[in-house]
Amino acid sequence: MSDDPKISQRYRELPREEPPRALDDAILAASRRAVQSRPAPLVAPTGRRRWYVPVAAAAVITLAVAVTLHIQHDRPSEEIDAVAPAMKVQETPAPKATEPARAERRAPQPFAAAPSAPAPAAAPAASPAAEAEPRGDIGAASSGVRASRDERVRAQAQVARTAMEQGPEVILERIAELRKQGRHGEADKALAEFRKRYPDYRLTDEMRAKVEKK
Amino acid sequence: MEAPDELLMLAYRDGDAGAFETLYARHRGALYRFVLRSLKDRSVAEELFQEAWIRVIEARERYAASARFKTWLYTIAHNLLVDHWRRKGLTLVELNDDEHASPDNPAHQVEARETAARFLQALEALPPAQREAFLLHEEGEMSVAEIAAATGTNEEAAKSRLRYAMTKLKAAVDE
Repeated sequence: MSDDPKISQRYRELPREEPPRALDDAILAASRRAVQSRPAPLVAPTGRRRWYVPVAAAAVITLAVAVTLHIQHDRPSEEIDAVAPAMKVQETPAPKATEPARAERRAPQPFAAAPSAPAPAAAPAASPAAEAEPRGDIGAASSGVRASRDERVRAQAQVARTAMEQGPEVILERIAELRKQGRHGEADKALAEFRKRYPDYRLTDEMRAKVEKK
Repeated sequence: MEAPDELLMLAYRDGDAGAFETLYARHRGALYRFVLRSLKDRSVAEELFQEAWIRVIEARERYAASARFKTWLYTIAHNLLVDHWRRKGLTLVELNDDEHASPDNPAHQVEARETAARFLQALEALPPAQREAFLLHEEGEMSVAEIAAATGTNEEAAKSRLRYAMTKLKAAVDE
């Protein structure tokens, strides 16, 4: 290509005409209108996208409420179960009699009927239950009101737990053992508990001689 | 460093109105003169100039930076000119022939020999295809290959048109 600078220079000397201002304004206005007519995706989503955020938010809220209800619903039942051994010790119910009550406590309850108040009230009772664990030194706590009460509770717990886990014959053997060791106070209390629990149990003469105070 | 035309057009495609204003300011004068000097009717030139930019705006969603923006812009303008000439019953090919060049007024050429007006007269006297090639070269600062791309022809034809235009204009200047 024969590029002549003289021609280019001469061309550049021609008037540098520009588009009229009105033409500029019309074109720029059209360019702005075109951009503004397209909605920004995150500001005003259209179609199905419009429902994404509300549906996701509703799902999260529903899940959170369901989990909260589930936790609140289960907590009282667990706390009752934790307290249950102490209650059983104090009431010394028959083993079979506790099952329906336990099942009843585990039965689902409506949210309004599951207040959190019973849980704190039952919590102190859990402490004696924890202390009711056998330590093997029952006879050592023999003086003072507190020691006596503890001893009684432990003896009752021992009998109750043994009764649940073993048969009446085993309990009687243990009472006989206490009697043989000269721990007559404990033996008397355990025997009284035994008779409450098994009022219809008929002692043989031999066993009666072993467990009753001579 | 100025942002390339292609990035500005992509920014406008994505909603940046300011990018278009920069792009427009960069090319408005050259494109206007290109269209204006390709036609003799100023009102038609303004109409085609506006239409070219409107087509850019409307085609923004389809714009891909695979080609130079300037080539794309002048291609749109070229197509509008071709459509205009067709409506007038003319074709670019026919007018590429020297025999179909618009008749000049020899007296006027002689009177305006040393002036810019005479140069302009010589430019207007060029066949449209040659004039277009020259204007794309001067206003669009395009190479032969880019002229060929913008006008939808091959490089040989573009080179030939430009060479003829240069020769005639040089003759007008040297006279």
